[in-house]
Order: sequence, then C-alpha cells, then structure tokens
Amino acid sequence: MDELDPVLRRAADALRQPVPPDPAARERILAAVRAERRAGPAARAWDWLRRPRAVMVSPLAGLGAAAVVAGLVALASTSGEPDRGGGTARPAALASPAAGYRTVQFVLVAGDARTVTVVGDFNDWNPRATPLSATGRDGVWSAMVALRPGPHTYSFVVDGRTWVGDPAATPAPGDDFGRPSSVILVREART
Amino acid sequence: VKLRTLVVPALLATAAAASRVSAQDARLAARLDPPTSAAVAAVVDSARREGLPAEPLVQRALEGSSKGAAGPRITASVRALRERLRTAREALGPAAPEADLVAGAQALAAGLDPGTLARLRALRPRGALALHLVVLADLVQKGVRPGAASSLVLDMARSRASDADLADFQRLFEADVRAGAPPGTAAATRARGIAPRGPSAPSGAPAS
Repeated sequence: MDELDPVLRRAADALRQPVPPDPAARERILAAVRAERRAGPAARAWDWLRRPRAVMVSPLAGLGAAAVVAGLVALASTSGEPDRGGGTARPAALASPAAGYRTVQFVLVAGDARTVTVVGDFNDWNPRATPLSATGRDGVWSAMVALRPGPHTYSFVVDGRTWVGDPAATPAPGDDFGRPSSVILVREART
Repeated sequence: VKLRTLVVPALLATAAAASRVSAQDARLAARLDPPTSAAVAAVVDSARREGLPAEPLVQRALEGSSKGAAGPRITASVRALRERLRTAREALGPAAPEADLVAGAQALAAGLDPGTLARLRALRPRGALALHLVVLADLVQKGVRPGAASSLVLDMARSRASDADLADFQRLFEADVRAGAPPGTAAATRARGIAPRGPSAPSGAPAS
C-alpha cells in the first residue's frame, strides 16, 4: 500500500470514509417495515399465492387432477344447458349433405293450419325447431331437412297442439305415446 | 416435460368424454322430471355398456316428453326399446350397424319374430338390411299377417331383389292399399311382379 501512487492513495482514503446516512431514506425504510407489520392474514395469503414456487406432481396425481377438472367442466356444462324448447335445431340436423346427410322434403296438406312443424328424432322432438312453410297453394306445407341415413321417426304438429302422422309414410310401430308418428328410411347417397 | 405429455392429452380426452356424456344427460335432465331422467339415464348407460346404440333410447325418452307422456310410461318405453335393440342385435349379429338395429327393433315392435330377422341376415350376410326390415314392418303395419309378410320379404331377399326393386314394391303396395285392395292380396301380387329379379312392376297402379 505504501508503494501506491499518491493519487491512488487519496482515492482509497476517500472511499474508506463512512457515507453519511440520508435521513429521508431511513424514514422510507422504517415506514415500509411498519407497513409490513400491519399486513393482515389476507394480505399475507395473497402474497403467498402470488409468490412463484416449484410443485412436484406424480403422473397419477396429474391424472386425478385432470379427472376432477373434467368433472367440473361437465357439471358446468350441465347446469348451463339452455332450454332446448327454445326453437333451435341441433347443428347436426343442419349439416350439409356432403357430410353424409341427405336432404329430405317433408310435406303435409293442412288447409286450415296457421303453423305446421315437423318434429322427430333429428331435432330432439322439439315442436318448435323445424317449421314448415306454406307454399301458398291449397294448404300445402313443406320443409327441407338434412337427415343422416337410416330410419327416422317423426310427426307433424299443427298449430302447436295437434299431432299428425304423415299420411304418405309408414306408421311408426310400437309405443307412440298415444300420438301418431311415422317412419322414414333415408338411404345412403349413391356415389 | 414427461409429466406434461401425459397429463395434457389425458385432460383433453377426459374432458371431451365428459362433455359428450353431459350433453346427453343434459337433454334428459332438461326435459324430464328428475326421477324419470335418472331412470332413463340408467337404461341408456346400461345399453351403452352393452355396445347398443344409446341415441335411439334418448330420442324415445324425448319423444315421450314432447308428447306429454307420464314418467313411468316413458321409462317403460325406453326399457322396451332397449330389449328390442338387444334382440335385434342377437338376430342380426354383433356387427350390425345402428340403422339395421333400429329398423330391426321396429320390425319386432310391429309383431315380427326374431327368427325372421335371423333368416334375413343368413340370406344377406353382408350389406345393409334396414330397407328390408322397414318394408317388413310396413307390410305388417298395413295389415299383412306377420307370417305372410316374412315369407314375401324373405323370398325377395332370396331372389336378390335390389333395393330399388324393394322400394318400388313398397310404393306400389301402398298405392294399392290406399286404393282399397286387401293388404295381403296387394302384397302378394306386387311381390310376384318383382321376384325373381323380373321386369319392373307394371306402372298401372291406381293413383292415390
């Protein structure tokens, strides 16, 4: 040290001098400490939750957690299911024929009817889902519906209350719950 | 990384499966009273476990609900349909598609016996049977005796009548019946017109 250049020695001596404390900084630090002491359990819990940490999970526990989440999702979707009597058809019934569906025309002659709908296993038997349109000629009502190939059971509902089987189709065998239904077989599209 | 590769697909698969089941249960829960919904869901679940189609059972319950049927009747009807689907599968084979099973169940409901379904399957070991089964049920529904209807349709299957032949037969038979012909006579007459793969039935059917 004795061999240091006088300039360096003066600099080293200056660095060894204690730094006078800043009174304002001291106040800020003490205020922060007092605030920390005043924080309640909720604030500490929030702080704990926000603090990142590593968690070790076994694959079995992960699968269990996945099952719980899936169950919650299922529960939420069940409780939030909209009323299907509201008048929207299932999207599947409206799929394009290109996806394997075939368009079927439903026709009913009902001269005095104000409304006619077709209801069946393609629209969850929703009496408001698939209205027929009056063609303007002799009380003929008609609707085009895309159906999956296979047998389908259906009825017409006239004026929202009268169930009518399709006079041009086969009556549905078995229990019809006292209101007539008909059967249509949609065959596979020829390729 | 390994944990993530295991858990994420499992989470997605489980959520998708739960979503499908809940959507179905939601339809029942939204339309049926709680005891009926629970009873029908149990029948649907048992059918699914057996590998039977579940959607026709759900639709039967929804049909009953829309038609204002009481809960016990809806449940009984869904149970009866499950039994017929089960019987149809035994007769038509485990590989029978849903359309054949549903049509088979309808044929059984119309009064045909499972033996007819099994003989039909034996005559056509491959290919869809839904059209044959729907025609069978139609004949019986319109008044042809089950035994006679079975003989006619089995003869048509034996003679390899095409689907178009069968559809023509059904259309002309219905026209004859609407015009006043006795169902048994109309069916036998029109069947002679197409078997075995003969010329098309005459087009002089009475207009409806």
